[in-house]
Amino acid sequence: MTDWTPLAPGSTEDPAERAARESQHQVLIDLLGAYADRELPPETTSQIDAHLIGCVRCRRELAVHHAMRRRLGVEPPIAAPPALRERIAAAIASTPVPVSPPITRVSLLRRPLVLAALAMTVAVAGVGSTVLVRHGAETAALAPLSTSPSTVPLLRDVLADYRRVVAADLPGRARDLDAVRSAVPFPIEPLGGTAVRLLAAWTTDLGGEPAVVLAYRWDDRIVLQYVVSEQRFFQHPALRQAVADGRLLAAHDGAQGIIAWPTASAGTLLIADLPPERLRVIGSEALLAGKAARSAP
Amino acid sequence: MRADAEDAVQEACGRAWLGLDELRETAKVRAWLYRILRSVLSEGEERSARRRQLVSITRLEEAHDELVASDGDIVFEEVAARLTGEEVRAALQQLPDDFATVVELHDIDGFKYHEIAEIVGVPIGTVMSRISRGRRLLAGAVLAARSATTKEPSAQERRSARWGGSGTTGGGIR
Repeated sequence: MTDWTPLAPGSTEDPAERAARESQHQVLIDLLGAYADRELPPETTSQIDAHLIGCVRCRRELAVHHAMRRRLGVEPPIAAPPALRERIAAAIASTPVPVSPPITRVSLLRRPLVLAALAMTVAVAGVGSTVLVRHGAETAALAPLSTSPSTVPLLRDVLADYRRVVAADLPGRARDLDAVRSAVPFPIEPLGGTAVRLLAAWTTDLGGEPAVVLAYRWDDRIVLQYVVSEQRFFQHPALRQAVADGRLLAAHDGAQGIIAWPTASAGTLLIADLPPERLRVIGSEALLAGKAARSAP
Repeated sequence: MRADAEDAVQEACGRAWLGLDELRETAKVRAWLYRILRSVLSEGEERSARRRQLVSITRLEEAHDELVASDGDIVFEEVAARLTGEEVRAALQQLPDDFATVVELHDIDGFKYHEIAEIVGVPIGTVMSRISRGRRLLAGAVLAARSATTKEPSAQERRSARWGGSGTTGGGIR
């Protein structure tokens, strides 16, 4: 990487200019990747623009950067197998709350970063929900929404749908659950435990996206469980923050309380004419039941 | 290797779970998880480093230099576009970790330079030079593999033949 092509054959550049140009070339060549990626400040970009006019070698090199980046950019992701996700969820669920982190060392060969990183992305949601299983079951901490639920589109849609539904007869029956399951692209985890009884299941539309509604009787109340896709669930930062904190998001509006938590590849919201603290009792039991089901052989 | 990668992801998820309190900004969750994953991987590498095969980066640099120094008949863009996934991975394997990692994080995983600096734990200027050099080496690895399969002698092999050398220049790293 020591030569460069002068402006034109036979140009009359003096040795000092040539040396200065060569040293500039050496500096700029290490910035060509960032130039191709538009990661440089405007001043440096202009400097390279000027250098490229006279340096055919750097222009070829820039073409290599573009070609390489374009090819790597279409490298399809390596999907994390479902078994890995399950293994991670099980390992985390069975880890006791640590006093000092019990870290198992793993044997690794050379740099499996590409594989691992891609699988990592897929596994992230699993961590979030498993954290909630732990926190939900043992501490059931609530993260109260600091603003009105109407500022979070998902909560606003759930509230509006709930008020519409409870004003009339329930639009489904309990035996519709299997049909409802197969109608949506995300998994449905009904509430567990003995305190709640499933009354009906149906699909609905929440802000233009499919959702499943399960209606339960809990004591003398009707509780609705809305299940939405993972993408929809994590759309709003308030929900992401609650999950990151390992808490159930809690909100209330008038007589209605809502709590929300992520499940495997989906998100659940419970709503009823009850304060969120009461809903938490049902939510915790459901989470415990889910944990027990997952750890069963 | 896939099993090792899966073990690493599991380990990283476990550590993320234990250290969730350290995550302050949820927008940075992906970079944070990658940083944990990298520390898991580097611990594994510390122990396996001695078993690692030495890679001659001199050869990769020469293959790349030959490409950009001459008018040549190779249209690199076409070569790159036709690479199979296997060839891409094989080429990445030829690179020293420091370079391959930043190129992968940027070009495959879509991280910005400042995020890569945070994940890898180096200044952004280092990310810039590593990406520049990493892509150069990667192009060299692609061309070296190509000339090996088409039986075209590389610049180094031609020189070695001319000088009657063994064809093994220095440049082994690690």
